[in-house]
Amino acid sequence: MKSLSWRPFVVAACLVGTALLSTPANAAGQTVTVWWNQGFYPAEDQAMKDVIAAWEKQTGNKVDLTFYNGSDLPAKIVSAITTGEVPDLCYVDNGDFLLLGQNAWNDKIVDVSDVVDTQKSQYSQTAVTAARLYDNVTKKRSFFGVPLKQQALHYFVWRPMIEAAGYKVEDIPKTWEAYFDFFEGVQKKLRAKGQRVYGLGYSLATKDSDSTYLFNQFLVAYGGAGLVTPDGKLHADDPKVREAAIRALTKLTTPFKEGFVPPGAINWGDPDNNSAFYAKQIVMTPNATLSIPVAQMEKTDQYMHEIVTQSGPLGPDGKPTTSLVSVKLAFIPKGAKNVDGAKDFLKYLIQPKVIDAYLVAARGRWLPVMPSLAKEDPFWTDPKDPHRAVATHQELDGPTMPWFQAFNPAYADVNAEQVWGKAEANVMTGGMTPEKAVDQALAQIKTDFAKYPVPAE
Amino acid sequence: MSSGHLVRRRLGDAGAWLVGLIVLIWTLLPLYNMVLVAVQQKEDVFASNVWPPHPTLESFIIVFKEGYWYLEHFWLQMGNSLYIGVAVALLTLFIGALTSFSIGRLRVPMGWLVTNTALLTYVIPMSFLAIPFYRIMKSYGLADNAWSVIAVEVTFATPYAIFIFQQYAGSIPRELDEAARIDGASPPQIFFRIYLPLMAPALVAVGTYALLLAWNEYLYAFLLLSSDQTITVPVTLGKFLNSDEAPWNYLMAASIVFALPPLAIYYIFRRYMSAGLTMGGVKG
Amino acid sequence: MAAAPGTPALAAAREAPARRGGRLRAAHGLKGSELSWALAFLLPYAAVFFAFVLYPVGYGLWLGSSPASYRALFADPIYAETVVNTLVYLAVGVNLKLFLALLLSGFFMRPGWWVKALLLIFVLPWAVPAIPTFISFHWMLNGQWGLINNALWTFFRMDGPPWLDTPHLAMGSVIVAYIWKWMPFWTVIFLAGRMSIPRELYEAAEVDGATGLRSFLHVTFPLMANLYTVCTLLSTIWTLGDFNTVHFVSGGGPALQTHVLATLGIRDAFELGDPGMGMAAVISALPLLVPLVIILMRRLSKGEVQL
Repeated sequence: MKSLSWRPFVVAACLVGTALLSTPANAAGQTVTVWWNQGFYPAEDQAMKDVIAAWEKQTGNKVDLTFYNGSDLPAKIVSAITTGEVPDLCYVDNGDFLLLGQNAWNDKIVDVSDVVDTQKSQYSQTAVTAARLYDNVTKKRSFFGVPLKQQALHYFVWRPMIEAAGYKVEDIPKTWEAYFDFFEGVQKKLRAKGQRVYGLGYSLATKDSDSTYLFNQFLVAYGGAGLVTPDGKLHADDPKVREAAIRALTKLTTPFKEGFVPPGAINWGDPDNNSAFYAKQIVMTPNATLSIPVAQMEKTDQYMHEIVTQSGPLGPDGKPTTSLVSVKLAFIPKGAKNVDGAKDFLKYLIQPKVIDAYLVAARGRWLPVMPSLAKEDPFWTDPKDPHRAVATHQELDGPTMPWFQAFNPAYADVNAEQVWGKAEANVMTGGMTPEKAVDQALAQIKTDFAKYPVPAE
Repeated sequence: MSSGHLVRRRLGDAGAWLVGLIVLIWTLLPLYNMVLVAVQQKEDVFASNVWPPHPTLESFIIVFKEGYWYLEHFWLQMGNSLYIGVAVALLTLFIGALTSFSIGRLRVPMGWLVTNTALLTYVIPMSFLAIPFYRIMKSYGLADNAWSVIAVEVTFATPYAIFIFQQYAGSIPRELDEAARIDGASPPQIFFRIYLPLMAPALVAVGTYALLLAWNEYLYAFLLLSSDQTITVPVTLGKFLNSDEAPWNYLMAASIVFALPPLAIYYIFRRYMSAGLTMGGVKG
Repeated sequence: MAAAPGTPALAAAREAPARRGGRLRAAHGLKGSELSWALAFLLPYAAVFFAFVLYPVGYGLWLGSSPASYRALFADPIYAETVVNTLVYLAVGVNLKLFLALLLSGFFMRPGWWVKALLLIFVLPWAVPAIPTFISFHWMLNGQWGLINNALWTFFRMDGPPWLDTPHLAMGSVIVAYIWKWMPFWTVIFLAGRMSIPRELYEAAEVDGATGLRSFLHVTFPLMANLYTVCTLLSTIWTLGDFNTVHFVSGGGPALQTHVLATLGIRDAFELGDPGMGMAAVISALPLLVPLVIILMRRLSKGEVQL
């Protein structure tokens, strides 16, 4: 007998080999791989599918479209960018908050100036500013995202609950302090009737983006917009900024400690304040899109009468507050195989007629970033719709500013680390004074900014 | 029997009943909550209910009919989960058994090295290798392919399988192997005709463990699989958590349906469970 | 039936190394096609190992090799708390779970059809998928509308504590959920171990007057000691990497105070977009993990010789 027979190895090798076989052939040619954030209801996804189908028909290209859940997509795209196995085009709902700035800084995103230029005149100034990010490798600021739509913070109220407390919606005050006190009053009245409800549905968690949005909007309302200036510089030592942060922190955490906010709010992810609102546990909740009413569009009673959308009170200084607008950007990661195809699709998508049709089909959860659309398409200012017109007026007519991370990606790190959420927790459950919590937060923010030195432009 | 003995016996029985009751409530409470949510209307889920006010099987009907957009491909995804689970179980059993046979029965040189090296798999916990696996699956051409998840699960289940098999095989007398060899049997014949049949309880126990491991998998399934046609049910269930107005009753109903196959498998093979999970080390 | 002349000697040669603990000497016993088969049988696992363990682990270590990642990791204010949480989770979770499993394994040895039926139900947490059950826990423990507090209100008119809203209660809740899920698995293992203890030992002990607790201490526990130790090691290693429990039950909240190293690593890698830092989080656990694995290796090889 031979010393080592070959038969066993062949058998084993076959077994191993079978396991590694089976791969579908890579589709080459003019296919564009698209990763898109899943919407909150089917209409949103269908709207995107329709746009893509139209483009495919027009150009003869193919699109490989996959929808991902909004909390999973960042993980997927971060993995992709780390390993270099990227899609051609990607859009993440919270991308501008969490990851686009840093990746542009690290030169991981394709410059899309040529796409943005095709519609530059149509965009609002805020949108243009928000899309111009800084690349630290090429040392220049350029367009790394294509603006598609935007969101801002609105306030949602249950009319039936107000009325059960003996008020009318018209009674809601328009000045800052009185506005929020009003809902505390409603809670007291409803509690007297035996209902276990809360007046203020503030998101105060270190999760997702609702609490970040709420805090930063309050910060701006109190005069803290100078925290980061458009040149990307941090002004953490500005006493005006510090004061604004302290007042914002106090304003949000005091009702929690006094029992006007559900204790669970310290743990609320983005869907949770919506859920609490639908369950009628809270009278009012701030939310950064129109998803609350739009998700109930089929229930006409709720949509048309019971849910009220408001743009919020006048600021603490008596003047209208500047709305922090988050501009949503689609981007092309570096290393994409079909950059031209992706760019071509984007150019198609942002044509005013096309993007308008898309946003309308998505039932208006997001607002357009092109003021002309609000003027030309009556959908956005439809007086019969109690929600959309409010949001349009607030976001396209009112004073707005882009988020800080548009100026410096370090603020995206600040958002991701939930620095302000942590500060809120320190005050609410950690027994810290707002002053100390703010100082700690500002110190953390300084550390974050130290990683991204932006030269003067 | 003295009366003291009898009293102790009665107390012991009463104590056992109490323990049994506590175990029952402890085990069933979260499961009851799942059922509670599944049989309620969407609006009632957040009301403060201990018993369902208007129980309905509507959620289950929706799940069965795939009547909700997140559940559009539910049965296909169940099939994916089943495919992956069974493949993982079979591959883990096969590779684990071959390896432990080679080390334990054929006494391959440096067998202890193989065992110890397999243990190194556990030095970096599974959840941390997510990004590396993402990359290598792409470079192996297994992106969005069920086999990427199967490979990961097999990798993490096999070392455990090897240990169990080695420990369990200790109770199978070597004389049987010897007798077969004297009769002229080759190793594969010994493996298939003697080893495997006698290892049946361990095979079933480990197979079930591997199947449940794969059935439960969330992180790798969502990272390595993308399209609606390839993802598994846990990933689908995860989508519910992202929505602003997700119908939680559908989520729980789908979860309960998803839990039925592994329950059935466990029930069928329960007799083998205890016997097969002996990890040895207990000797008189 | 031809017997090769040297077979008895071969057989004897093969037996001798077994008594000495099986080392290279075994090679003398394996010849020819037997050796090829032995090696061939190892091929599948070797392929799996090279393709799916060495490469990913190597790449992972490389990802986490930049010192900047460690600086960032240690500078993160929640890192210290996360380490403490992880240690508490391991020390309390693993040990409480295994201890209870050991006790329950004794309980399930009792005769009676209702005990067997109860065992079947008791195993449900292991058999039912993790994600939905942990989500169920998450809802059950909701301070405002969860089942537990509803029940407390309905039956006892008590306002239940905010289970997930304070760090200690939240950590406790996570540990409870973890024990709920995994205790059945280990109970079955211990049960199997107990069932292989010969009855004669118990009978002999009873004759000597030892029952109940004494019997447990002098008969059961010494014999189960090795099994218990191996289970503790294995469970600790597996729990260190446990992501699902914390993620779905408490989400790391409130205020990022119930994170463990596994969830922190994922959060650093994906939410902060810094995979290097994520890998650094787990590599920082290696000083704990590696000794555990080494001890486990030693224990398991000892066990083998005993048999």
